[in-house]
Amino acid sequence: MCWMCKAYGEDGKRWFFNPKNHSRQLYTIKRGPKSAYGTDPETLAGLEQRKLTAAKWEDPENFPRLLKEYNERPKEGGCQVVPLQEAIQVAELSYPIAAMMCICRKMFRADEETNPAEYTCTGLGVGMFKWERWPERYRGGVNIMSLEEAKEWLTKMDKKGFVHMIMTFGGSYVGGLCNCDYPDCSQIRTRLDYGLEPALMKGHHFAKVDYDSCNRCGICVQRCQFGAIKFEVTVDRTNIDAFRCFGCGLCETACPRQAIALVDRETVPAMKEEW
Amino acid sequence: MKRYPRIIIDYTKCPTPFDCKKCLVTCPQAIFEVFPVKVEKFKETDKKAPGTYQLSTFFIDKCTACEDCLKVCPTGALSINY
Repeated sequence: MCWMCKAYGEDGKRWFFNPKNHSRQLYTIKRGPKSAYGTDPETLAGLEQRKLTAAKWEDPENFPRLLKEYNERPKEGGCQVVPLQEAIQVAELSYPIAAMMCICRKMFRADEETNPAEYTCTGLGVGMFKWERWPERYRGGVNIMSLEEAKEWLTKMDKKGFVHMIMTFGGSYVGGLCNCDYPDCSQIRTRLDYGLEPALMKGHHFAKVDYDSCNRCGICVQRCQFGAIKFEVTVDRTNIDAFRCFGCGLCETACPRQAIALVDRETVPAMKEEW
Repeated sequence: MKRYPRIIIDYTKCPTPFDCKKCLVTCPQAIFEVFPVKVEKFKETDKKAPGTYQLSTFFIDKCTACEDCLKVCPTGALSINY
């Protein structure tokens, strides 16, 4: 089981399917010490990432020690990759669901998403009603969607090639459903480039290719944001490295021959503790 | 020991990075970051007002020193040290 399921799951169900983690009471709980930026745990996590990336450059000898410290301390709150199917199930549990601009793309590419047609991120829960308190965070507002619209929206984002991730803000409160890609997503990037595990947890699945149905079209290779899929010239087939796979299911939804299946991580012994 | 390039930003020549954003969009390694200097409640920061946003080199260890950002910068605010 992943650490979030151990701490916040119930009856063996996944933590993001536990209705308690969608409750509005959790939204008001803020964790972490007060800083110059306030008590927003999201900002604090950002400051931590900043410290780590800066260490790699300014203090390379200290970098492994700092990374070890961050990876080994008790983990609270996380961000996890989910396939489209699970993202839709999470949306069914949550209210309201709103499309909004992506904060990472704003930071790292100065991408301004000012209207609903350009929005890429999804906010969940009661916080979406309160966006007007922080207009700088949302820049232009949010677009509240019905469940049907949300399902369509998530499918559209999946088609575009964005990875779905469940975001929490310092605790177990399911506050967002990001649609992200490398390198513009700070979570994916700090995990892949710097090895910061609390930044992003792998999903509950990994992808596997059925070699008999695969016709080597290569569509899945372009879709992978994690560098897990490659075309193996020697054996003339597409292969997925299960250890690099984050289980986002983008390859599965794009495969025209249904040759890729998502396997539950916990049914395979060596993959059980790979998060 | 590996040496990393250092991009020096002249903030007096780069007052509105979020409005200009040429370096942010151009960089093949996406190393730049732009952030509001002060976030206020009930207020959207004006991106055209000088000094409200600041540019930084967040992922500088991924910089290849290709100098693409220097070429696109309209005010010459960036310089590179290697």
